[in-house]
Amino acid sequence: MIITKNKVRIFAMAAILTLSLYSCKPKLPVEMDLSREEFVLINQDSVEVTIPEILKNKISLAGYIFTHCPDICPMTTHNMYRVQKKLTSEEDILFVVISFDPDRDTPSVLKKYAELRDYDLNSWQLLTGKKEEINKLLDNVGVTAIAADSSFTESGELNYYFLHTDRISLVDKEAKVRKNYKGSTADINEIINDIKSLE
Amino acid sequence: MFSFILFVLLFTGQQDQIKIKDAWIRPGAQDMNTAMYFTIKNNGSVTDTLYAVKSKLAQKTEVHETYSKDGMMGMRKAELVVIKPKSSFEFKPGGHHIMLIKLNKDLKSGNEGEITLFFKKTGEVKVKAKVKKPDIKKGS
Ligand SMILES: [Cu+2]
Repeated sequence: MIITKNKVRIFAMAAILTLSLYSCKPKLPVEMDLSREEFVLINQDSVEVTIPEILKNKISLAGYIFTHCPDICPMTTHNMYRVQKKLTSEEDILFVVISFDPDRDTPSVLKKYAELRDYDLNSWQLLTGKKEEINKLLDNVGVTAIAADSSFTESGELNYYFLHTDRISLVDKEAKVRKNYKGSTADINEIINDIKSLE
Repeated sequence: MFSFILFVLLFTGQQDQIKIKDAWIRPGAQDMNTAMYFTIKNNGSVTDTLYAVKSKLAQKTEVHETYSKDGMMGMRKAELVVIKPKSSFEFKPGGHHIMLIKLNKDLKSGNEGEITLFFKKTGEVKVKAKVKKPDIKKGS
């Protein structure tokens, strides 16, 4: 059989096409493993929950916020809400909101935050807890929150705001973080495609 | 008569210099904070400056700006907002916002709220806005 230049060219083109199709398929590496340590937290209904337990057997989106934040943090949770609205009903995703301000974000404050924004508490968990436990978790995932700017109200109450990491994480069914996004400006379609690539 | 017309023209011109568009308030719970957003349009021929803001919606109302530092996000008080002639300035998620600190009552979708802006040239401008979830399209 005579191998013509043309045949070589066709073969090469086919090979390139196959390779590029293969590499188009997103492959998300494991960024962090949350299954190795236990974090005991409290949800919006004052029920004790543990990570990684609640993250197992379900794909989750986790966002880090403080509810006194009027701008960035509600954008982050609103992006999670938009993902939920855009997903089809067959997809069973858990939405986890973790507060880095446990002093002020009590379960009832978190519950009200969710209710006011129509977050469906069947699929959302808003978590707070003991400061040590929250800090341990934040250290683990590399989320930083530093009390920064503050002001006093007329009645003399201190209002402080955090300088904080702006993040949504995609967590797989084995409690492994597979991708981190900038929470307030995340691309909804990117998150949805990544969720689908894990299913 | 001519000077009277001129006066009226100048006077109404002054009144129309600053226009507030697309105002909305993010939902927020009583005792918590939330933000209001809008676009300020300066149709006049002189620069105007927003220097104060007041409202009965919250214990304290301030002009704030979101900033990023070392890869993190924070927010701080912003003092003056200068709006050049024939230009606009947008208060938007992730940028400048009217910070409503310690809301006097729940602000739920569908509610309405009013604030007063104070400009150096134009004076007081009242802004009414609906409480609503952010527009899906705007990506906020
Ligand atoms: Cu603010």
